Amino acid sequence: MHLVHATVLAGECVLPLVPALAATFPGAGLRRGSTVVVDAGAGVGAGAGAGVGVGAGVGVGAQGAVSLALLLATGASGAGSWCAVVGVPDLGLVAAAELGARLDRLALVPHVEPRQWVTVVGALLDSVDLVIAHPPAHLRDGDARRLTARARERGTTLVPLRPGRAWSEGADVRLTVTGSRWEGPGAGDGHLRSRRLDVTVGGRGSAARPRRLQLSLPVGAVGAVGAVGAVGAVGAVGAAFAGADADRLPDGPIERIRTAG
Amino acid sequence: MTRTLAVWCPDWPLVAAGIGPDVPAAAFHANRVIACTSAARAEGVVRGLRRREAQGRCPELVVEHHDPARDARAFETVVGAVAAFTPRVEVTRPGLCALATRGPSRYFGGDEALAARIRFAVDERLAGRCGCRVGVADGPFAATLAARRDLIVAGGATAAFLAPLPLRLLDEPELVDLLGRLGIRTMGAFARLPASEVTGRFGTVGAAAHRLARGEEDRALASAVPRPDLAVQVALEPPADRVDTAAFAAKSLADGLCATLAAAGMACTCIRIEAETEHGEELSRAWRHHRAFTPAAVAQRVRWQLEGWLAGQQQCGCLPAEGCPGGSACPNPVGGTTGGLTLLRLVPEEVDPDRGRQSGFWGGSTEADERAAQGLARIQGLLGPHAVVTAVLGGGRGPADQVRLVPWGEPRLPARPGPGSPTADGGAGAAVATGAGAASPPRSRSSARASVVRARSARPGTRVRTSGRSPSPTEQPTWPGRLPSPSPAVVPVDPPPVAVVDAAGVAVGVTSRSLPTNPPARVSIDGGPWEDIDTWAGPWTADERWWDPTDRHRRARLQVVLGDGRAYLLSLEGGRWWVEGVYD
Repeated sequence: MHLVHATVLAGECVLPLVPALAATFPGAGLRRGSTVVVDAGAGVGAGAGAGVGVGAGVGVGAQGAVSLALLLATGASGAGSWCAVVGVPDLGLVAAAELGARLDRLALVPHVEPRQWVTVVGALLDSVDLVIAHPPAHLRDGDARRLTARARERGTTLVPLRPGRAWSEGADVRLTVTGSRWEGPGAGDGHLRSRRLDVTVGGRGSAARPRRLQLSLPVGAVGAVGAVGAVGAVGAVGAAFAGADADRLPDGPIERIRTAG
Repeated sequence: MTRTLAVWCPDWPLVAAGIGPDVPAAAFHANRVIACTSAARAEGVVRGLRRREAQGRCPELVVEHHDPARDARAFETVVGAVAAFTPRVEVTRPGLCALATRGPSRYFGGDEALAARIRFAVDERLAGRCGCRVGVADGPFAATLAARRDLIVAGGATAAFLAPLPLRLLDEPELVDLLGRLGIRTMGAFARLPASEVTGRFGTVGAAAHRLARGEEDRALASAVPRPDLAVQVALEPPADRVDTAAFAAKSLADGLCATLAAAGMACTCIRIEAETEHGEELSRAWRHHRAFTPAAVAQRVRWQLEGWLAGQQQCGCLPAEGCPGGSACPNPVGGTTGGLTLLRLVPEEVDPDRGRQSGFWGGSTEADERAAQGLARIQGLLGPHAVVTAVLGGGRGPADQVRLVPWGEPRLPARPGPGSPTADGGAGAAVATGAGAASPPRSRSSARASVVRARSARPGTRVRTSGRSPSPTEQPTWPGRLPSPSPAVVPVDPPPVAVVDAAGVAVGVTSRSLPTNPPARVSIDGGPWEDIDTWAGPWTADERWWDPTDRHRRARLQVVLGDGRAYLLSLEGGRWWVEGVYD
């Protein structure tokens, strides 16, 4: 492959992202070989029930990290890249499809024993384009570093999902959900319709300066995510909403990118 | 042009049905006679007659239904008798088979001798149920006509044999009809027309028919060649106790196998790797390749499979466990292998014609697909074939019902029919309605449809009793009572229990009219502390599979949003609440 591609185009260095997130990332995409940690901050679901773990899954935290990780896979799988999810047996696949992920390009390895986790993620880094992985409780820092290096070498994006203490450093981009608000239900009427996610973007290099991002995840519009800030993104969302019912649109265009501090 | 011998057993459908020639009987397909006995023929029954007319001509006619499978099964005895003379026998249809005589005739002393022997062998096998007829001529078509007359046409005399025969034997009704109106009624007359003129006027169909009439048929017999046993094996001496050694042996074995297959223009898409250890353990697993196995791919699979077997599966089987020295010193290991491999066998399970492959430039299958397939197969080798799955969405009401996990490499078919991709249910902010869709079990087809129509317009909060009517194949079920989009991003495999109470601390239930007994105010997830509910929606109730007492589910689903912004999908079944989904 490398013999054939004498030059690598800039567009091939990134995996496509959904418009709402693209504006946040340098190069308007997920750089191949980078490590993007998706985590939930202490601000959300800080209530006592938040950390209750269920089996080997990601638990009943409800902070929004899983949706955010699925959103990263949506853009990549929609463009035909292969994605894999490791160690998340309780992933809601209907939700993944509703966000726009292509399920035939989304391989799942739900149950992995902790001692085989590194091997499995390593093998996936060799073969697919995006790996979302929920690490076991006590992942060694050395293993995390090795996987980051392997991802960089193989040009695969690694997304540690709620990694706990692992990857506390060494991530290129760190997306932390700091707030989540649902709209739709009242006192027994309506149903969940849309949510706002407050995301803090941090990391290294061009992502080093922390920014705050407000994402609106509307319901119904497959493959579309509420616009944030950029005019182009708003246009894309408008197009994606063309087929959806008007009453499913988010209530108001309040999204914008703010710089923290 | 192949010198061909045809064996014809007249009225085979009736012979296969066990009806003798002296009983007036006929086999029917689509209300037309397709075969009849000679007794029936004597009464005036002919092929193509309607059943009523045939019965009119011969009132005592025994009516048999056409059963091609039975005919073919019964004909196997005849084919077996013929195959004793040559392995290459073409079964043209049940009742007629053909073989090329070149080799057998020279061996048995000429066409006449061969025909006599075959006739004798087949008659012996049929034991008087039917008199077979044998014909020899140039080409299968002429040989079939010769067999009808029990005739051996000398080599080169086929055109003269065919010339007086009527054209309708060509089995081209339109062409024969047209030629008849042009005054051409025999094969000879047709054969005398210049070939180029026939091609120009009648096209390829006419040209093919002209070749038949000239006795110059060039169709090769589609004779069945017995399938060779493709499995290859190698005995490992001394026993291979390292994966490398076994994988190396597998590589050379796979080289031979793939060369054999390639020489036949075939490719293997599913291979079974079997191994035996010195202690007689047999290990076997089938591997599927989405395209075709190459020797390197086979060797890779052998390596992965042996790694999976040899590494890590071994567990301590000592009872009690305290006395075990542990690790490799354990005297009673369970699982894994106990000795080196002595035998390695590759069995191609599915072999397809090799059509080659070409990677797509845009779309289609790409190098990335191949890379992904290889990696996923590797993980299957490590963790087992069911460890790597992809999801297929189907119909269903709950978030877990709609998903079917398919092991990687198997066909992706949904568990239940349903709309291809999930869409949001209609209905904006309807107050909890009751009863509208609570139809009684459908009594008639029309009432069943009415209940479905009512249920389809149901809004969230409407109670839906599912209809027992199965949808027609073209109609996709809509799964009324399905939760509206968005769906929970986390669906716990093992749902934790949850307690739901109202402001006064009284447990919340759902009435038979789909209303909460009291407004939910606080929840406690999995025994945790009480948390306030900010807003809530529902309940959605569904009485699923109520006609099946063993598989019946009555569920009420409730969406709750807690004070700090977390949202859950709770479901009530059997008087207890569970966290069915987490809107993570």
